[in-house]
Amino acid sequence: MTKFSRRTLLKFAAGAGAMNVTRSFAQSKETLTFAAGLFAEAGRGDRTRAWIEKFNKSQDRYVIEPVAIPFSKLADTVFTQMGGGGGPDLIRFDQTDFFAAVPANRLFPVDDLLDLSKFKFQAADKFVKVDGKRIGIAFETANYAMLYNPALLKDGAPPKDWDTFLAAAKEATGRGKFGYAFRATMPERAGFWFDLSNYVYGFGGQWGGGGEPLLNSKEVVEAITQYKRVYDLGVTPKGADAATYRRMFWEGKIGMNIDNGGVGGIFSAQAPDFKFDAARSPFPHREQGITLTMLAFNANSKKKAGAAAFVDWMLQPEPQAELQLLLGASNVATQIPRAEEELKKYPWVKSFDENTPYGQPFLVRSLESKTLDFQQVVCENVLRCLVGGESPKKVMDDAQAQALSRILRR
Amino acid sequence: MNRSTSHAVRIVLILGLLGASVFPIYWMIVTSLTSSANLFADTPQMLPDPSQAFNYADTFRNTGVLTWLTNSAIVAVGTMVLSILLAILPAYALSRFRFRGKGGVGFLLFATQMLPEAMLVVPLYAIFANLSLLDSLGGLILANTAFTVPVITWILKGAIDGVPLEVEEAARVDGCSRLDIVLSIVVPVVAPTLAAASVIAFFHGWNEYVFARTLVSSQELRTASVGLASFIGELSTPIHTVMAIGVIYTLPAVLFYLMVQRYVVAGMTAGSVKG
Repeated sequence: MTKFSRRTLLKFAAGAGAMNVTRSFAQSKETLTFAAGLFAEAGRGDRTRAWIEKFNKSQDRYVIEPVAIPFSKLADTVFTQMGGGGGPDLIRFDQTDFFAAVPANRLFPVDDLLDLSKFKFQAADKFVKVDGKRIGIAFETANYAMLYNPALLKDGAPPKDWDTFLAAAKEATGRGKFGYAFRATMPERAGFWFDLSNYVYGFGGQWGGGGEPLLNSKEVVEAITQYKRVYDLGVTPKGADAATYRRMFWEGKIGMNIDNGGVGGIFSAQAPDFKFDAARSPFPHREQGITLTMLAFNANSKKKAGAAAFVDWMLQPEPQAELQLLLGASNVATQIPRAEEELKKYPWVKSFDENTPYGQPFLVRSLESKTLDFQQVVCENVLRCLVGGESPKKVMDDAQAQALSRILRR
Repeated sequence: MNRSTSHAVRIVLILGLLGASVFPIYWMIVTSLTSSANLFADTPQMLPDPSQAFNYADTFRNTGVLTWLTNSAIVAVGTMVLSILLAILPAYALSRFRFRGKGGVGFLLFATQMLPEAMLVVPLYAIFANLSLLDSLGGLILANTAFTVPVITWILKGAIDGVPLEVEEAARVDGCSRLDIVLSIVVPVVAPTLAAASVIAFFHGWNEYVFARTLVSSQELRTASVGLASFIGELSTPIHTVMAIGVIYTLPAVLFYLMVQRYVVAGMTAGSVKG
């Protein structure tokens, strides 16, 4: 039988003591939960987790624990938890859900956390301020442009205007390939709204302004008319969800797609050998949507100091540059120039960056907090026009009347 | 139509129905074993390609699917055991005792089924937060059990109604207490129905999504239904992985059903013939 000397026993005791100290030290770190659909994303999710891990390593007081919730279920889940008095400490919200949470006082202002005057924010920063208070931080701003597959287009060049776009889409369609893809179903209501909004902005319209809905304005009706024209042209894989047709794109089955820069990043990561490019969208006006995701702070959270530490860390130039690189062609909260190597590796990023001055969030201007209600009314009515055969003018007149009575109670 | 023709039509009909019910699972397997290039081929690949089996290996290696399945199994078995334990006595009481408000109690039990999970999840979240039951598999088992107990109580009540009173009276003459009668006589007699009820509770716990998504946030406590949904991304969805996990997720439930199927059939037909 092995005999233990006093020294060995002391060593054991010291070791156990040290382990205990380490453990209690680790346990003394305050854990903050950070919920985002991004964490579930193939490629980008893993890289964002690794980015957060850098914050965790830099800290001796706080740990951020990523919580992956499917993008489509994020708002439902988080609002349910907030309604029950809890929820994650930090949330990466989509712009429409963010503005739905603000009037319910579910988020606490970032101005109260720390002094942010030292940071140089991007132009999209103005959209995260409500009544002069900064409610969140613009985590990711993705511009929209037209991604295209040169192999499916004549001379490999993108169409420059609307008529040549329609002709190119028609020409690229056939034998299991489609010239173009967009969303037009209620299960993908948010994406349907984004795609419609790009048409509206591209044809010079806005969903609202001056506190009034503008759903049946001349520009909006024209945009819906053109949207229906593309739908009726038979150039899209009708019914395919975005995840499917984006994959079809990098498998060489889709000619063109007006999408955000993050999608370009996904193509590069998932199919590095696939040759694609990006160009300005073929609409008459340069205005295009931006997918704005905000880092918001749950008003139920008791861990505000930890949230402040994370915000302060993430807004530093190095973490911002790393985040911008891992997000693809998106912008981050602050103005960070793109690295030369990134531009060389992903030349298509330039087309997205050029749209920065023309970015419009997918919100009903001046009625931002009602955007989700507008989304429902507009999508329902546009579907009547797409599959029910009613005229764009008629359905948008109905949408305007419904918005006034159902949403604004006038 | 002669006899052999009608026999052939019947076989074709049965095969058609069988094919319609099995096809989604078959298609899941085929898709999980289709190469990326063939996924959107002009002619769909109808047979699984064994060379793509690495999708399954990758799924096991790169995702938390084993942890999720273990969590789902704990929740499903926990829900099943707790539901049965909690439902037997109220079922016996509703079947054997006459008391004031008996109809009301029975109705209230059913009324709980009229409320959708989505409506109850906010108050339940607040209660669980106060009781420190959030982010625990135990809490999830309790939430699921609350939904399965009323159904199982009514199923067991129906079965206990069919147990002859004379058997219980004889046992009481022999000195058995009420609890002894329930455990030693009633439970063995209604065992097939118990098996059927267990399947209902198990599948509720296995498939449940809304509570699992809302009440649990830790990655390591995630159930398979939530883990599977977590692959539906904002920009892309890895179809191979989703299909492979879908197949893996279905298998334990199918195996469990096959194991208890004999008893379930017996439970369903128990009491259908009198005398």
